[in-house]
This record gives sequence, structure tokens and C-alpha cells, in this order.
Amino acid sequence: MRNQPASVTLPAEPGPFPGGGSRACPPSGDVRSEQQYRQQKFSNQSSGPSYRKDQYFPKGQNRGERGRGRGGWQGGCQSVSEEMPKYITASTFAQARAAEINAMLKAVAQKSSNSLVFQTLPRHMRRRAMSHNIKRLPRRLQEVARKEAEKAVHQKKEQSKTKCRKARRRHINLVAEFNRRQRKNIWLETHIWHAKRFHMVKKWGYCLGNSPTEKSYRACYRAMTKHCLLQDLSYYCCLELTGKENELLKQLARICSIDTGLTFEEACCLSGRFEGSLNLYRADHYPEDMLGPVTFLWKPRDGSENRQLWIWVHPALKQDILRELKAIFQCSEPEEIYIPEPVATSTQEEKRMDVVLTLGKKRKKEDKEGEKAVPVKKIIGDGTRDPFQSYSWISQTTGIVISDKTMEILRYRLIGPLSHSVLTETLKAASLQTEMADSETELNNWWVENCKDSEKVSLHQRQSAIFELLEGISSPSEMPPGTILGLTVGDPRVNLPKKKTKAMPDFEKYQDNDKVRQLYLEGVPVDCAHSFIWDQDICKNVTENKISEQDLNHMRAQLLVPGSHLDLGPCESKIPILLVQQPGKMAGEDRPGWGSGWDIYLPKGWGMAFWIPFIYRGVQVGGLQEALKHSEYQRTPHTPNDFPDCQAGMQFAKELESSLLEKFKRRPPAKRANYVKLGTLSPFVCPWGQLTKNWELRMKASGEFIPSSPHRERCATEGHSFCYPKEEVVKEASPKTGEAEETMEITSAEGALKTEDVTGTQDFGERGETMTTNDFIVLRSEKLLMQLSAWCYPTAGRDRRVRLISRLGQKDMTEDIFLPILMSYPRALVWVNLSLLRKGNPELHAMICIPTEDDLLHLSKDKLFCGPQEPKHRDIFKHKVQKLKEEKKKKKKDNTKALEGDPPSVPDKETTEEHEDLILGLWSDTLPDVTSHCSRTLLGYVTRGDFSLAAGCGEALGFVSLTGLLYMLHKQPADKKGLVLLRTPASLQYRFARLNIEV
Amino acid sequence: MVRFKNRYVLCEVVSEDPRCRQCIEDRAVGLAVRDAIGRVHGDYGLACCSISFTVKYLNAYTGTVLLRCRKDSYRLLCSALPFVRQLESRNQRYPCFLNTLHVGGTIRTCQKFLIQYNRRQLLLLLQNCTNEEERRCIQKSLLSCSLTEEQSQSGDEEDDDGTETD
Repeated sequence: MRNQPASVTLPAEPGPFPGGGSRACPPSGDVRSEQQYRQQKFSNQSSGPSYRKDQYFPKGQNRGERGRGRGGWQGGCQSVSEEMPKYITASTFAQARAAEINAMLKAVAQKSSNSLVFQTLPRHMRRRAMSHNIKRLPRRLQEVARKEAEKAVHQKKEQSKTKCRKARRRHINLVAEFNRRQRKNIWLETHIWHAKRFHMVKKWGYCLGNSPTEKSYRACYRAMTKHCLLQDLSYYCCLELTGKENELLKQLARICSIDTGLTFEEACCLSGRFEGSLNLYRADHYPEDMLGPVTFLWKPRDGSENRQLWIWVHPALKQDILRELKAIFQCSEPEEIYIPEPVATSTQEEKRMDVVLTLGKKRKKEDKEGEKAVPVKKIIGDGTRDPFQSYSWISQTTGIVISDKTMEILRYRLIGPLSHSVLTETLKAASLQTEMADSETELNNWWVENCKDSEKVSLHQRQSAIFELLEGISSPSEMPPGTILGLTVGDPRVNLPKKKTKAMPDFEKYQDNDKVRQLYLEGVPVDCAHSFIWDQDICKNVTENKISEQDLNHMRAQLLVPGSHLDLGPCESKIPILLVQQPGKMAGEDRPGWGSGWDIYLPKGWGMAFWIPFIYRGVQVGGLQEALKHSEYQRTPHTPNDFPDCQAGMQFAKELESSLLEKFKRRPPAKRANYVKLGTLSPFVCPWGQLTKNWELRMKASGEFIPSSPHRERCATEGHSFCYPKEEVVKEASPKTGEAEETMEITSAEGALKTEDVTGTQDFGERGETMTTNDFIVLRSEKLLMQLSAWCYPTAGRDRRVRLISRLGQKDMTEDIFLPILMSYPRALVWVNLSLLRKGNPELHAMICIPTEDDLLHLSKDKLFCGPQEPKHRDIFKHKVQKLKEEKKKKKKDNTKALEGDPPSVPDKETTEEHEDLILGLWSDTLPDVTSHCSRTLLGYVTRGDFSLAAGCGEALGFVSLTGLLYMLHKQPADKKGLVLLRTPASLQYRFARLNIEV
Repeated sequence: MVRFKNRYVLCEVVSEDPRCRQCIEDRAVGLAVRDAIGRVHGDYGLACCSISFTVKYLNAYTGTVLLRCRKDSYRLLCSALPFVRQLESRNQRYPCFLNTLHVGGTIRTCQKFLIQYNRRQLLLLLQNCTNEEERRCIQKSLLSCSLTEEQSQSGDEEDDDGTETD
């Protein structure tokens, strides 16, 4: 019970009080002096006249009752036997009683429990809605209840009180609220739909669906393989480049390389027939300074001099790429002044600007031609844009315009073999239209214009014919990769089925169709790639003249036969779209074409109008996690997770590390994995720089690879231009790390630790630096990857390998071929995939190691051999951590002791800061040689690994050091090539896996 | 939910010697009561009563003592209380006895009773006043406690009693 009156005893402090004796209770009951006492004892705060209160209450304010007792009876306390009165007076007796009554009254009046007033009432006195209406309480409790109610109101949130739910849910207010909420993070047009069904995450400035809330891991996989998975990729950013073709190509050639596959100049892409994908590098920096992967589409040639190019980039990479593009084209001026029609800052933006000035919160649409439309306009497109900022830039010398069309074009991705049946069922090619529905509106005026031109009409007819033929093709993977088909379609909301049905193809209809066969063989012709979506004015028109959902429903309601097909006639909107085939799995031998599908590009504002009809065709919807799985099963690197050499990838790795570390720290220390004992140096991040550096040094130190000196010199001269400048750069950046490593190489493992202890702190800072300067590259040269891929195959199925090698036109692995590679790429990583031979489920950041000869021997002897074990390591930091803990404890004690004394001394603080990152179970110094830390030599790390539903075994994707890989392949016997060991960070067990490089 | 049910015994220390008041302490009273129970009911009774036995409140000036024990064994306690004959503390021993005023189920009821009881005592005292001085004094103290009652009902929790009495 709280606030109970404390017991009152006579003061017990023995000892003479000079003033006390004289004030002993006089037997006669001196009222005046009693009065004084009383005053003293009741008013603890009041400054009594000349009382030595501080003496009696050395610890400041005592509890009320106790103080009272002491104050009142202090006279009787000392020299007990004499001073104690022999009898009591009536007045003191009465006063004591009165004091007690007071104390008790206080205690009784106070509420003792946490319950509310009406809860303390006996049951028969309770009334309905008592908490709501205070007057239903007994009158004596009303006051207390009122106070309680006030308190409760204060604790409640203020926001919801302003408006009732009904008002909040009113459309106008809801839209205003949504607009407010998407000012910070961009919402996709399907946001509300997703938010109801997905776990949403805020990433890259967007609100994105991470994964469905329902169980759908397998369902999504099945949809990808057998049916159709839909994904909203509108968060991908579109950068539009407009300018003369040769001007564009000249500069664009600098940021990509022919080595990695396509370039912007690729003939079939340049014609606008296919979409291409490539990796961008900082201008003239290839193979260093990766910017990121992009896909690009050229607008088909239409006679005019200027070409349009769309570069689609991941939002994490956008800023880097945009900056680089602006730099190479020297586009620094905001465009608006030079071009009569502003691109990105459309009228919508202007409107918003007005509103910002006038109204502040609600954006009222201006009266347009006398009619007042919806007062609050939904934000379409990017809600976070600053209306005063321009989003397109022009170069004054070449006239090239770069515009950032983020959220201007929507992009949905359909993955799976049945994606065309979904497409063909959902979309219907627009009907021709020769007269305007209504002369007042601008609805479809572009289409009417277009239909007057017979050439364009025939093009449209050809496009729609091809589109209908698509249904006859069994899988999108049968089309040439990246095929583009432009189309103009009618409003998909019109032919919405009544029920959700699964779209199934009808192959019989197309069994002996020559046209389908022709489509197979020839693909979509170039002119069919044309679409009106490239035209901004048309897109704007289409966006603004969309029939609202409300109007459509209204029209539906007025149909004579409920539920019959709604025929809008000339009022039906025509929407230009672009269909782009996604090739799916192209590399490797198994599951060709897996995960292929179509991307559909729409003008903004039409998101939900297309989304719902797709859903009604029985597609499964996936989020970011599903996209990750899709790329995992395709064995392609995913942006930005698997690009450790670009800025976004590094950022991602950093975030991942911190989140994993947080998660690790949340566990109680006894339940954590001790990674030091497990021999895992960095369980949360892959130290790529360290790995490549260690391998380079290893090779240099051992010198095994170099058989003869003249040969070596030749190689050195060959690789000179690549190799040495880089090294110098690195050395300049971090001379101390270099030194430390060299000493490490020389000394034994224990010795290395000691040297590190000395240089530890400086090294730590510099490691961070070197991480950012990016001292490694990822090998993306197709020729080399092809070569490596061929070498990785074992000769067990000899004919297969020979066939493969002959197919690839490769040479056998000899020293004079791979040594130049080694020299020219001393610090390179290679993207590999691994599939486990037997048991095992690889995890994130699992280690890829080289098996020893014994392991391989054991494997060939014992078919059930799962893999060797890593011996347990000793936790060399345990002692330190414990010491630190003790120190902390001691300091805490000191702190409590020296609360009144001087503040804790400064050196103490420093030491704690130094060891702040010492966590039991984690390697806390700079990493030693990562390659040789464990019993098996480390080759690389896994960036993504899981049980693969597609392959039926554990599969992993990751990077290995090129040097290490060549070293391993060179050492391994022919029939065991490409066998590696895999070990997850929290385990000692190695598992055998086959390493593959798919090109 | 099941809670432990207790009994609270409110009693009064009556002693002829006013010096006995200095012996009224938690420990001394508790020991004396325990001792009495031990003598009367033996080890078994003592053990029964010792479960959650404690002195919840006491006031040396008025001699009020509030004891707590389990509901099961309060009879043992009550029957042993008359056998408390002296209080001992700091090597001083004073004869006294305990007068049971009230047995309640909660501290709150005991407090309420105590208010009532004390008020009655004061009124009694007022009736039996012998001189004017005394009467005035007692009236004053009576007023003081009734005044604060109103104050506390009106809701000011932390009223300073001293200022009210002036």
C-alpha cells in the first residue's frame, strides 16, 4: 500500500541536546510552548523560530508523520529517566490524538490502488456507462472521478480527438491525409492496396511492400514457375536522355564497356527493337568505380534528328548515375528556360505550388472553365518533389536534355509462363475512333488525330494483331530477350470479370497458326515497338483525362441489365503502353528461361486501373522479398545487394551489418554464438577488400605460381599498366595497413596478433577508409568469365566438358593463359554460384573455402562423407572482455561512491570509449589474414544462400577472389575441379559444394 | 485471482508509566507479542502466527499499534494479546498491557475505525474537562482535525497541516 502513515516512535537518538533539555515538556502543560511545538511539528517547511531543525533532520525533509513526532516530543527524548514526565496532560493527549486523526484521514481519503474510482465501488452500486458519465457515480466520488477523467484525457493522443472517425474517413479528408503522408516517402500508386496486404518498409525514399502478410513463400515460387507473379516496379527510376544520336553515343560509350556485354550502341537495341541491360562505370574508369546495373530502351527512330533514351535505374543507384550522366554531358542548367514546354514540372506541379502559397495544407484545384472539380487532388507521381526545383537539365553545347522522370512512368512486372495470357485477357487493343466524344474535353483528342492517319492506323492494327498472337506462345521465354512491343489499349476496367479467375491460355486455337510460327521465328518487327508513351504530352493528356472510378461505377449502376458489359463508346480512354519482355534465366544449363515475363510500362495515374484487372486474372503479387528470390533462382546478382563495388552496394552492406549486429546484441550474451570460437572473423559483413588484398599478398609471398623468371617478367610487363598504379594508390591511401600486413605475412599467427595490438587502433580507422576507396573490382568481362566458367567444370563427364570447351572456344587451363589474368586483375572478385552436393543449407555470409587434398580423398572414398569439421578456436578476447566488465563494475561503484566528490577522472572515460566495441563473441581487433585464419583456406563469401525450391538443394550465390579461384583450380585434380567447402558463420561443419560460373 | 487474506488487529498500549512510550517501537512490540504467543500457544502457535506477522503501524504518542497476521491464525494472536505484560527496549522494561480495539480485514477499515475512536476520545475528553485552559486546547485540536478532514475531501492532497492549525 502506498502513502500509508509511517509509524511514529519517540526519537531514539541519545546524546545531550543543549536546547532540548530546557524545552522538556513542562508538567504544568504550558500552552504557549506547546503551541510552538505544534507549529513546529506540523509545518515541516515553515521556518520555525530558532529551531535547530537541520540538526534533527540531517537528511533534509523527512516523512511528515515521523518529523512531526520528533519535532513535538523532542524534549522528552534525552536523558530518559529524568526528563520523561510522570503523567500526561489533557492537551498533549488531545493533540496527539488529533495528529493521528489527521494522518489517518489523509490515508483513508487517498486512493490506495491503481483502479479507477468506479471500479472500487461494490458491485451492486455499479451503473452502466459509469466511466463515461460521471453523474452516475455516487456524489461523494464524483469529484475524484472527474479528476481521473481529466488525467486520462491528457494521456490520450490529441490528434484523433479533433475529428470523429467518420469525418476522418470522408474522402476529401482522407485524400488530404494521404497527401500529407506521402510527402516524405514516395508512395506508389498501388500503395493503399499494398499497405493492406503487405509488410511495408521504407526504403530508398519509397514505401514499398516487402512481403505479403499471408503465407506465400511457396505460392509465389509456384506462381513464378507455373503461373504468373505480379510486381509493382514503379519505384525504379527512369532517366530520359534526349539529343542527337551520335552525341549521345559518344559520351555514353565512356561509361560502359564492350567487355561486359552490351553497350548503348548495340545495333538491335539502338533501333528500339530490344531492351538492353548493362553495367555502368564512372566515365573512363572501367573496370573500377562501378556505378550500377541499368536497363535501357531507345525510342524507335521516327525521322526526327533527336533520339530519346530511357535508362531505368534502381533508386539506390539513381543519384550516382544521374550525377555521372550530368557530368559527362555537361548538363548543369535547369532546363525550363530553354524548352517551351517544361517536362517534369508539369502543370500539376505548378498547381501545387499555387496551393502551397495560398492555402498551405489542402490543395484546391483552380476553377477550370467554370467548373469546380474535386477540391483536393490526389498526388499522382512523386509527392516528395520540390515544386521549385527543376528535374531536367540541358547541356548548352550539345543540346542534350536529361530529365528525371521518376514516378512519371509506371512499371509492372509479370513473371511466369502464363504472363501473356494474363496480358491478353486483361488488355484489349484500343478501338479506332474518328470523331471526338465531346468537343469540350481533351479526352482522346490525340487518338482521334492519330486515327486520321492511315499509316498509323495500320501500325496500330499490326501491333494489336501481334499482341493477340502472343497468347499462342507458351512462354515469354520463347520470345527474343528484351523484345519491345508498343500498344495502345482501351480502359482495362471496362472488361473486368465478375469474379477472380485464373487466366489460362488456349493453345488449341493457335495450334497450326502460321502467324504464331512466324512470330516465333522473327520476333516482333521494329516498327511495332513504337508507342505513344514516349510522347509526354500524350501521357499528360491520358493521365489528366482518366475517368474516375466513381464515375465509372456510376455508369455501371445505370446499366439496364446489371452486370452486363459497359460500353463507353467514344468516351473510353485510350492508354499508350509499352510491353517489354524479360528474358529470365539465360545463363547456365538448367532451367533455361526460368522466370521470364513481361514488363508493362504505363503512364502515371493509371496504376490502379491496370492493377486490379491483373489481380482479377488470378496473378500472385510479390514484394521485395519475392523479387530477391526471383533473382536468386535466376542466379543473377540483385541490386543493390550483390554489387559490393558500387556505392549503393557498400551502403547496403553497412546497413545490413548494423542491423545484424543489433540483432546479435539483443540476445542475452549466453545465448549468442561466439564467432571467435567458431573461427568466423566477420559474421555480419564480407570484408572483400581484405580478402582480395590477402590473396594478392599470399600469391606474392609464396611465388608458387611463377615458374620461370623470363615468363614472369613478360607477365609483369603485360599486366603492368593495370597492376602497379593501383597498388600505389592503395599504398598512398593507407601506408600503415600495408606495413602491418607485411609484418603479418612474416610472423606467425600469434605474432601477428601482437603486432596488431600495437597498431590496432590506427588500423581500424584506415580500414574504413580503404573500404570506401574501393580497392577491389568485380570481374564482369564476359570473355574472362567464359574462360573461368569452362575451367570450373570437372572432367568427370569428360565429353561434356570437352564439348563445352569447344563450344566456348576455350583453351585448356595452362599457366601461360591464366597468369596474365592473374597479373592484370590482382584484386578482383568473381560472381559464382554454388550448389551443395549433399546436406547443408547455406546462409548469408557463409564462407567459401578450398578443400584440402585429404578432404577430396575422403570424399571420393566415402560417398556419405558430409564434410570436415573446423577445429574449435580459442577466444583470445574473452579475457579482455571480462576485464573490461570488471572495470566497468568497479567504476560504477566508484561513481556511486564519489557522487558528492569530484567527477570521475578523465582517463577512465577514454579507456571505456576505446573498448566500447568489445563484444564477447566478435572479433574486435583489426582482422588478421582472413584467408588463413581457419584450417581451410578462405576463398570468398556467400551473399545470398538458401534452400532452393527450384533446384531442390541448398544453393548459394556469392563472390570469390579471382586469384584464389585460379589458385584452387590450378591445384585441383581434373575430375574434382570446382569443388569447394562451404561453412555457415555459426557452425563448425564444412559442406561440399560445387562452384559454377554462369555466363 | 486469489489473494492472501489477512487480519489487522488494532490495539492500544496501556501503561501507567508514561516512560513506557519510548519502548513503543516496531521491534519491541513485535517481540513482546511473539513472546506472548510463544508462551501461550507454544511453538506451533508461534509458527502459525509468524506467517506474515508484522507491526504495520504504531504511534508512540497515542500508543496505537496495528498488527497484521494471516486470517487463519488471528484467533491465536488475539487470544495471546492479553498476555503481553511488558515492553522491553534498550535494556529498559516497562509493564503495560495491550487493549484490543478493533479487528479488521484491511488497513483501511482499521484506519477508519481509528479516526472514529480517536474522535470519540477527544469528545469524551472535552466533556470531562476541568478547567478553561484545557477546554480551549482540546477544542482547538478537535477543530484542527475536523478542518483538515474537509480540506482533504475537497481534494487538496498535500495540504500542509501546520498552516491550517494556525
